[in-house]
Amino acid sequence: MRILLVEDDTGLQTSLSEILREAGYAVDVSGDGIEGLYYGEEFPIDLAIIDLGLPGMPGLELIRKLREQERQFPILILTARSEWQDKVEGLESGADDYLTKPFHPEELKARVGALLRRSAGHAQPVIELGPLKIDLAGQRVFKGEAEIELTTYEYKVFEYLLMHPGKVVTKTLLSEHIYEEDADRDSNVIEVFIGRLRRKIDPDGALNPIETLRGRGYRLNQQS
Amino acid sequence: MKTEGHQQRPISLRLRLVVLAVLLLTISLGLVGFALDAAFHRSSEAGLQARMESLVYLVLAASEVADDGTLTVDDDPGDPRLRQPGSGIYASVNGDKDQWASPSSMGVSPPELAQIQAGESSFLAPSSEPGFYSFQYGVSWELSGGQNLPLTVTILVDPRELEPEMQAFRVGLWKSLGATGVILVLAQLVLLTLGLRPLRRITQDISGIESGKIERLEDNYPRELEPLKRNLNHLLDTEKANQTRYRNALDSLAHSLKTPLSVIRSSLPADSSPKTVVIEDAVSDMQRLIATRLQRAAISTRRTMAKAVDVKTQVDRLVQSLARVYSQELINIDVIIDPGLAFYGEQRDLLELAGNLLDNACKYGAGQVRFSAQAIDPADHRAGISLTVEDNGPGIAEGEREKLLQRGVRGDERVDGHGLGLAIALEIVGAYNGEITIEQSDLGGAFINISLRP
Repeated sequence: MRILLVEDDTGLQTSLSEILREAGYAVDVSGDGIEGLYYGEEFPIDLAIIDLGLPGMPGLELIRKLREQERQFPILILTARSEWQDKVEGLESGADDYLTKPFHPEELKARVGALLRRSAGHAQPVIELGPLKIDLAGQRVFKGEAEIELTTYEYKVFEYLLMHPGKVVTKTLLSEHIYEEDADRDSNVIEVFIGRLRRKIDPDGALNPIETLRGRGYRLNQQS
Repeated sequence: MKTEGHQQRPISLRLRLVVLAVLLLTISLGLVGFALDAAFHRSSEAGLQARMESLVYLVLAASEVADDGTLTVDDDPGDPRLRQPGSGIYASVNGDKDQWASPSSMGVSPPELAQIQAGESSFLAPSSEPGFYSFQYGVSWELSGGQNLPLTVTILVDPRELEPEMQAFRVGLWKSLGATGVILVLAQLVLLTLGLRPLRRITQDISGIESGKIERLEDNYPRELEPLKRNLNHLLDTEKANQTRYRNALDSLAHSLKTPLSVIRSSLPADSSPKTVVIEDAVSDMQRLIATRLQRAAISTRRTMAKAVDVKTQVDRLVQSLARVYSQELINIDVIIDPGLAFYGEQRDLLELAGNLLDNACKYGAGQVRFSAQAIDPADHRAGISLTVEDNGPGIAEGEREKLLQRGVRGDERVDGHGLGLAIALEIVGAYNGEITIEQSDLGGAFINISLRP
């Protein structure tokens, strides 16, 4: 999942992007409203965290512009303004949630996870897929009672597919959403991740939760 | 400058002017009275002198002198008062050898005056010796022998003759002068009331500014008060600018502290080592201080002209916002507000108050929230509004309620959950002369009622 972080305080920028990367997200960082809008328009973003007091363009205007451009990804407002007047205005401009500074990093991760789940249509943080149980909040995958160990990138690929059930996901799309803008991408790597993921979650090939559509991409099979 | 321990209030303008006017009127009317009195006295004396002169002629006309110088005067020269003893008017004629006195002088024995030269006359006021007004007229009576006999006719008038006239005049004079004085003082009072009316108006307007009904002195005042109005408005503008500056400074301080606190928090290792806990606690303390102390300063600054804020519209905005934030949870918020209910205060304060209470109810309730609002006095919609927020959560234990409200007021104890939201709500309630009560809702959870009287 790829997150856009627009925050002008460099200290917070650094520590937040670290926390989010540790949590397994690809993070694009901008310290300026205009650049943030460009990223939001051009990159395949899954969620944006936007500070309201931004140079270049105020956060509220940035959110309004993104919504005008039909960008539907969830937006989490990050601000020092804790008054309800500001919260209401922020939410009315098109944001989905509101986090006031100073916040706990755990709270931020929980809100981000909840917003991503919500946008994928999952009300609960645990998704069941046949015998598989995926705890999105804890980023853990279980088969029955046994936990399946996944690497960060394997989990990222699986999570992205889970967030887009029944849809065809191309390799390019997958690599765009699990890597940041300036990362080296190789679509063959995606094939490797998919292969390893299949072996781990479905070693005997009975469930086939991830279908391969030749030449087009992959699709999460909900029936399995 | 030395200041006395006890300073007396200066005498009021009205009293000052009235006392001065009374003093001035007394002196000037008194002087006028004395002058008029003296003038009248002189003119009555002049009248008396003329009367006495004509009496002289009457007496002379009644006089007969024989050649031997014997004087015969008719006892009734033509004025009945000369015949009536003790009438106050006495006549006498003195020749060299003989003399005559009018019958009125019987038993009175008026003083004898020296003769005067023929052809002369003298009028004397009673201040001089005899104690009477006297008029003497010297004539030379031509006897048949060619001799001339000098005669002096004397008319004496008791000064009491003039008294009734003077008395009547004086009573009339002082009565009318007194009436004039009273009328002038009353007129002065009316003038003062009319003249000081603009001052009273400006006083009312200033208290209007104090209570937030008007923002500046905009009325037209008399030219003399314009400089005062200008200076007051200037003072108000300066004060407002200072307040805005102060508020903005506090506000930006409060907000700029939060980002570094976020950095500290997000840079802490995700463990529970003693160091992390200590730093985390310190950050929490600072966060709480900012939320209660610094931001409170911005709330409690004076409110200015309050426009009507539609309660339903604002609460609907809040409910929609909360629905977005709590969209994963199934929360049902019932809103019961009379349409058109208006809050005369800052929209920001209403949102903050209702937002905190609703947020608490969503957070601690079990999905059922009820928000109701109505006018405190349906007849006077400016009297204030009453807000109630209820939920179906565990509620607030009876013993906790008082403590929670007190804690909020002090804002210096560790507050969490219901506490912080309530602490902020209490600040606003305090700024609006409001009251807050916590009870048990029929929904099962907390029932928080707030009345605001802006």
